[in-house]
Amino acid sequence: MNKNTGLSVNHLPVLTWNHIGINEAQFPETELAEVEFDACYEKSGFGKEIAEIFDNIETGMGAEAVAFTMNHCTNPIFIRVKEGEKKVIEPLKYTFADGAKVCDVTYILAEKNSEVSVFQSYISEDDTASYHAGLTKIVALEGAKVTLIQTQLLNDSSLHSNDLGIKIEDSAKVELVQAELGAKMDYVGCMALLSGYCAEFVADTIYYGDEKRKTDLNFIARHTGKKTVSNMKAKGALFGETDKVYRGTIDFINGCKKAKGDESEETLIFSDKARNRTIPLILCDEEDVVGNHAATIGRINENRMFYLMSRGLSENEVKELVVRASYESVLSRITDEEIRSKVDSYLERRMIIE
Amino acid sequence: MASSKDKVSEVNQSIYDFRYAENASYKTDSGLTEDIVRQISKEKHDPDWMLDFRLKSLEIYNSMTIPEWGPPIDGLHMEDIVTYIKPNTDMKGKWDEVPDDIKDTFEKLGIPQAERESLAGVGAQYDSEVVYHNVKKEVEEQGVIYTDMESALTGEYSDIVKEHFMKLVPPTDHKFAALHGAVWSGGSFVYVPAGVHVDIPLQSYFRLNAAGAGQFEHTLIVVEPGAYLHFIEGCSAPKYNVANLHAGCVELFVGDGARLRYSTIENWSKNMYNLNTKRATVGKDGIMEWVSGSFGSHTSYLYPMTILKGDNSKMEFTGITFAGKGQQLDTGDKVVHIGKNTSSHISTKSISKDGGECVYRGEVTITENAANSRSSVNCDSLMLDSISRSDTIPAMDIRNATSDVGHEAKIGRISDEAVFYLMSRGMSEEDAKSMIVSGFAEPVAKELPLEYAVEMNNLIKLEMDTRD
Repeated sequence: MNKNTGLSVNHLPVLTWNHIGINEAQFPETELAEVEFDACYEKSGFGKEIAEIFDNIETGMGAEAVAFTMNHCTNPIFIRVKEGEKKVIEPLKYTFADGAKVCDVTYILAEKNSEVSVFQSYISEDDTASYHAGLTKIVALEGAKVTLIQTQLLNDSSLHSNDLGIKIEDSAKVELVQAELGAKMDYVGCMALLSGYCAEFVADTIYYGDEKRKTDLNFIARHTGKKTVSNMKAKGALFGETDKVYRGTIDFINGCKKAKGDESEETLIFSDKARNRTIPLILCDEEDVVGNHAATIGRINENRMFYLMSRGLSENEVKELVVRASYESVLSRITDEEIRSKVDSYLERRMIIE
Repeated sequence: MASSKDKVSEVNQSIYDFRYAENASYKTDSGLTEDIVRQISKEKHDPDWMLDFRLKSLEIYNSMTIPEWGPPIDGLHMEDIVTYIKPNTDMKGKWDEVPDDIKDTFEKLGIPQAERESLAGVGAQYDSEVVYHNVKKEVEEQGVIYTDMESALTGEYSDIVKEHFMKLVPPTDHKFAALHGAVWSGGSFVYVPAGVHVDIPLQSYFRLNAAGAGQFEHTLIVVEPGAYLHFIEGCSAPKYNVANLHAGCVELFVGDGARLRYSTIENWSKNMYNLNTKRATVGKDGIMEWVSGSFGSHTSYLYPMTILKGDNSKMEFTGITFAGKGQQLDTGDKVVHIGKNTSSHISTKSISKDGGECVYRGEVTITENAANSRSSVNCDSLMLDSISRSDTIPAMDIRNATSDVGHEAKIGRISDEAVFYLMSRGMSEEDAKSMIVSGFAEPVAKELPLEYAVEMNNLIKLEMDTRD
């Protein structure tokens, strides 16, 4: 751990030129009391055996972030869904005020053929600088289905890290829906290991950058199982002097025959002072796979702009409409009314297109 | 398809495998020291500024580390590489005067034929020295200068050389650029005056011969405003079992409204470390076109870079990489948009076979000032078996709100249906796959002059042929 620059996180799985500045990122540490994590396991009745399943799961932000969050965990949550059960977990709402510092660790174990839906929300209630480091690990056993929906609306002085490690076994599916809209520094890492036959991973992420926000995203879908399918999408709009990095990696490991990986990113840039860096990787060690990635970065497509303006909308109205439309697939999944209305009013307030 | 099969076996593979006994008149000690750099400089009758430049570069070389990214280059021991070998012949203007063994080598590589096919000039490099050089009369009459770098450095064009030499690729760029700055020798210098349209392509052929010899040729091309040039650079080297290093440098200056097409097929021997740097800068309304084929070599680091400096400048890059057994080819492209309304189009193909590893590594940067710029990148990778590897690492850095950048990449295998279809028409599985790979490479082949396209297709067929 480098004390001067913070935690080294969001490593690109394969290094490239250093001058682009995307091989890794630095996330600031904070002063927090150390905790004994093992004790949490015992209290929850989760059992050491099951805990060991989670210990080996890699995350998108990497080992330094995991060690930090585990050693300073303030809110451990363990969710276990038994075989064949279907559950919708009560929304986990974290509200930040008075410079709160939170490290939450959430472990989700979905047993054979179970279904579970988990909702996490992080919202600031005042303007104080708060700190959040989150770690979520998911294990989906045979035939299980897990949906994780996350929204983040921290204020402009807060730091937020959201680290995910996911393991998907035979015919299981994990769906990740994320709205990363706030914070001064927003760091997200997600590693999905598709180890089972026909395992499936879907990620749909939206981000919003304005003022001096730094957004740093790192998504990895690692295919080791046969006939595994991954589909990662990211969409966002950049305003002000924001700086955003998106790393997306599809990693086909030898033996993952008939695997398929798709990845796409759409970024709209509305400011000459905004900076967007995108690096979509495909790493391929297996012949019998199909991998695709596509990235579209820049302004709104001219034809689309022309069509909508010819229908009577002003240029700015078109821009707002197009951003909102690109967010819709994620926003429509936020079913909690309180959070949804907060997200809507946040976007209304922030998105000023000039 | 019997005829196609015959065609494959007819290709004389030995032309890439022969090697004559070393017959060098001068050879430095292995390893890189200040003394060696001074010796090289003395031998080449460098002007003082060049000796200073070489020594400064050596200093930079010693202070820099080997890149952390990219395929391993542990097998490369600089202390074992004789950096400079001068063949036992001076500059020749006439083909008849070139020594027989060298001539024979070039004949096998097809250079005289290519010349007969009315190519403008041949500056063929044997080891580290240009040994044969001839520019057609009509090109000279247009005021075009096509000469070897040494002559240019000391001759009447020395000011142009001094003005441009390693200005685009400074020795501080990376360790191997610094190495090049210290020990460079040979290469071509081309100057096309403003408004001159060179109708026939200029061609230069490089070849490494001595085992353990490095090749550090420098190509400097200046295309003045409104001029046009097509320059072809081909490389081939015989097989030999001592690590070889190629750290060449290509600097291309494309003036306002000028257009340069730079085509190259590199086919280094399978023990070569090819750490080459190519860079172009393009003025207002200028156009830069790259056609690049990477075959052969043990390890390659090759990313031709274009700086679109002038408003409305354009660049197009078409590339193909084929990695076979034991090869790690890390190739790609870089483009920096600085001028307004600039555009770039990059299209690459890669093929991995028999445990070969292909990497596409790219970078598109659109700066704050490059308003209304466009860039599109397209990478297709073909995996021919499961012991090979193919990675795509494209980075994009966009810093304004009025540009459009699109990137697409696909990776996959030859479809069973296509092979089945061709086999049902009477082809063997091998021929069917070979045909599909040639079809995959077709968009690159069509950008090349005919004789190069034929050579490239033959190389693909040779690589696809598993019968030996």
